[in-house]
Amino acid sequence: MQNGDTNSAQNGSISSVPRDTSRPLTEEELDRYSRQIIVPGMGKEAQLRLINAKVLIIGAGGLGCPAAQYIAGAGIGTIGIVDGDTVERSNLHRQVGHSTSRIGQTKVSSLITHLRGLNPLPTYVAHTTHITPLNAADLISQYDLILDCTDNPATRYLISDVCVLLCKPLVSAASVQTSGQIIVLNCPPTPQGQLDGEGGPYPPCYRCCFKKPPPANAQLSCGEAGILGPVVGLMGVAQAGEAIKIIASALHVPPPAEGAPRAPPVEPTLLLYSYSLTSFLSPFTFRALKMAPRKKSCFACGEGSRERLTLEGVKNGEPNYEFFCGLGGGPKAGVLSEEERITPREFVERVQRKEGKGKYVVLDTREKEHFSFGSIEGAVNVPFGKLLSKAAQLERSGETPEVEYIVPPEVKIEDEGEDVPIYVVCRRGLDSQEAVEKLKEMGLDKGGKRKIVDIAGGMKAWKEQVDPSFPYL
Amino acid sequence: MSAPKPPKGHFNILYFASASSHTGKDMEALPAPLPLRKLFDTLEERYQGIRETVLDHSLVTINLSYVEMPSSEDEDGEDNAVVIQEGDEVAIIPPVSSG
Repeated sequence: MQNGDTNSAQNGSISSVPRDTSRPLTEEELDRYSRQIIVPGMGKEAQLRLINAKVLIIGAGGLGCPAAQYIAGAGIGTIGIVDGDTVERSNLHRQVGHSTSRIGQTKVSSLITHLRGLNPLPTYVAHTTHITPLNAADLISQYDLILDCTDNPATRYLISDVCVLLCKPLVSAASVQTSGQIIVLNCPPTPQGQLDGEGGPYPPCYRCCFKKPPPANAQLSCGEAGILGPVVGLMGVAQAGEAIKIIASALHVPPPAEGAPRAPPVEPTLLLYSYSLTSFLSPFTFRALKMAPRKKSCFACGEGSRERLTLEGVKNGEPNYEFFCGLGGGPKAGVLSEEERITPREFVERVQRKEGKGKYVVLDTREKEHFSFGSIEGAVNVPFGKLLSKAAQLERSGETPEVEYIVPPEVKIEDEGEDVPIYVVCRRGLDSQEAVEKLKEMGLDKGGKRKIVDIAGGMKAWKEQVDPSFPYL
Repeated sequence: MSAPKPPKGHFNILYFASASSHTGKDMEALPAPLPLRKLFDTLEERYQGIRETVLDHSLVTINLSYVEMPSSEDEDGEDNAVVIQEGDEVAIIPPVSSG
């Protein structure tokens, strides 16, 4: 008996999903999975679909760890894990599939060790590498459903494109600081470029939802912006939940041959979670947003997309994901002249030791959480975002400010009324360069009378060159 | 928990992720009605630079449903007929990439 959802590999690139949901469950399987099998809507067939399924988890971090635990626990038969990183101590507050004793191990082997302890029955496949345009299709083609648990826009577009090309459903989630989002894409899996006909409207891909990435300097990483464990954890758990739902109801099955009845379209929904640390009124918020179906104009899955996006193209660097996401050129830097930059060591020798108090001002543009661990003596904290919004307000009013305008009202600048130099420092030396430019644009350099200087390399370089004990985060 | 009801003649706009860091707010009430195609101009006027750093790559919802942003060039196009009404909840949702 084949339960009507027989499948054969209709297309060379599509792996076949084993359909045998007729075998009995072993005693161990029955015992291990009994509490989920008896849930209304599950049953033996759904459990066998889970056991027969192959799921690829790309990224073994804050999303991938919690997702993998529930994927393994539920008994997905083959679980592939892709990651090229090793476990670090700063991962462990959120990446709960690793452990202190496994710091330094590859994340893939560490997570598989954890998952084997939880459930030894699945086959675990280690892919100890980062996903790239070169290996993406080989990795993804071996699986039925993909979880995007990665941490940067370039891989998000790459994974989505390859899932469209190989006709795979994708559960994509992301999280930073106190907010997260999750969406099921290309489900039920639908061939590239299919827009009309029975069974529509068709599901969107990542590009249908987010046509272009944010500019590189507006992208936040968890390492720089921070992330709360439970926020990213919730998103990872929700990814496992969606994956299990899709597989249990056989929605991951590639479309049957032309004309055969297909699964009804899934209403595309983006679940948004935001959690405020500062507001007691609204401790957390979930919002389920109704998304649009596949877009005619979409680069990857829309009209004429087969001519634009191909597996060969992706392998050969077309499209160029790094360039598309603004990473090729690196952050905007190098616009300042030599006189406008000083190394931390020079700053100590030429400024701190020679000039007295009140002869210069230091602005630290890091977030206040970073600043709270310490800074250069006498530095004033003006977070970069606040500086930009002050600059924008000023541009509208058209006034030329004094330095007091940009610092918090409670801070008193002891500059003895002179136009003393301003030194700007940040975390790694990128924001500070932009801040110097902004301060000049605001007219604070008084037409060149006042020096505004970037402390090159930020507090990271300060720790390396001046104070090795500085608590740089 | 839902956002407070906007005052009479206003709609609520919610800012998520980088939209919230750029505006320094989670939400605010803006005067309604407002044609959807004027939304980004209205925000750019209040928060200079927000179009390039946030809005251009964000998705927009009205009352929890995705809306296609009309391009500002074809002002008389029929697709541009959407008007944000009093009491609506608009959300600006930038993509998040980390994990």
